[in-house]
Amino acid sequence: MGSRSFSVTGIVAMGVGTALYAAFNVFFNMIQLPGTQLVALRPSVSIPMFFGYTFGPIVGFVAGFLGNIISDAISWGGFWWNWDVGNGILGLIPGLAIYFLSGEKLFERKGLLMASILSIVASILGMGFAAYTDYIFGYGISTIEEATYALFLPAAITDAINGAILTPILVAAYSSAVKGRARRS
Amino acid sequence: MSVRLIKYIEGDSVVHRLDPRAKLTFLFSILIALILTTSLPLIIPLLAISLTFYLSARLPWDKTKSTWKFTVVIILVLSALNYLTISVLYGGEGVNLLQKLTSQEIILKSITPVCKLLTLVIATATFVFTTPPNLYAPALGQVRLPYKIAYIIQLALRYVPEYIAEMSKTLEAQMARGYRPRGGKNPIARILSIVPLLVPVTISATISIYDIADAMELRGFGEEKCHTWYRSLVMKRGDRLLMIVSTLLIVVYTIQYAILLLT
Repeated sequence: MGSRSFSVTGIVAMGVGTALYAAFNVFFNMIQLPGTQLVALRPSVSIPMFFGYTFGPIVGFVAGFLGNIISDAISWGGFWWNWDVGNGILGLIPGLAIYFLSGEKLFERKGLLMASILSIVASILGMGFAAYTDYIFGYGISTIEEATYALFLPAAITDAINGAILTPILVAAYSSAVKGRARRS
Repeated sequence: MSVRLIKYIEGDSVVHRLDPRAKLTFLFSILIALILTTSLPLIIPLLAISLTFYLSARLPWDKTKSTWKFTVVIILVLSALNYLTISVLYGGEGVNLLQKLTSQEIILKSITPVCKLLTLVIATATFVFTTPPNLYAPALGQVRLPYKIAYIIQLALRYVPEYIAEMSKTLEAQMARGYRPRGGKNPIARILSIVPLLVPVTISATISIYDIADAMELRGFGEEKCHTWYRSLVMKRGDRLLMIVSTLLIVVYTIQYAILLLT
């Protein structure tokens, strides 16, 4: 896995995924959910999930992690390392599909269902990590209830819905788009 | 293009002239120190250090104004929320709500996390404001990080403005085919009109990955283990001083944490 992720294609995939995630996040960061803390409604979460699913877990992690760092830096010049790692997990988990399904099945109906389920799992794990590390290290939050209701639930639910719907759409669109072209391994 | 997006402010202060590597180390040490502390008296010196760092950069107020407005709003909301939840849920010794709201323990408990956040925000904002984005990748490449990782950052920074332009191009192409974006004056509806762009822009970018990779491979990228950078960075006296301060910070706060664990 490691050698495939750090091939030239893998490196370009990481760079492009990061750039895409950052470019869309810059706009979606403007829609803050009311009553929460810095949680934005972001359909763009499906980008790291899609990159993880098609190019492997490491590419997905880097796209989520770096993309979130860059978009945060553009939007308000801040840096929250645990939210960046949480966004990385969003891309990492769908990439694990490679271990359950073989190469061709990845883009068939079963694979699309798998992408949808893994996106929900990724949202719960990734946002859970980010919200509760905020509580553990005390970044602006000091009770566990606050972490659950102001950070974890709104972030995880919106990300799960967006990811579960959009990731399979992106995967299906990608598989039909590359069908006519010579695929490189 | 990317220079305009990321809010680099030109200047010639002490902080501007520092080596980006030294600034990165400093940021990292502040982060470590903040993770290791829980008490207010130990956070205040960190806050003072990052404030000095910010003030010595001599950034003009009218260019940093929007960032500060945003930060202040968040910090006010956070501290109010903290204050209320703590006092309602864990209301110490007081009997009625008013006594709970004014007890010293609760005020201390709700201020501490906000101070932590403020310290982190000031330090990182100073870094972003004073470091030109075209130095990020060379700086990371010259702290002995594998150049492939530095190159990912370089590629990402290069393509962010490209994809933002691509989004408006795709929107215009769809409008030419009869798609009518909702919105008008409602800002949220205007942002949501980006959603239909998500799929076409992502797919066209993903397919271009193979072309970019081919072009880079043809130029010999990834063949050699070492890579030289066009801008070589040199550590000066100020940079070494900042490195020493950062190391001291990490050492002091680790010792403090160890003592806290042992007792």
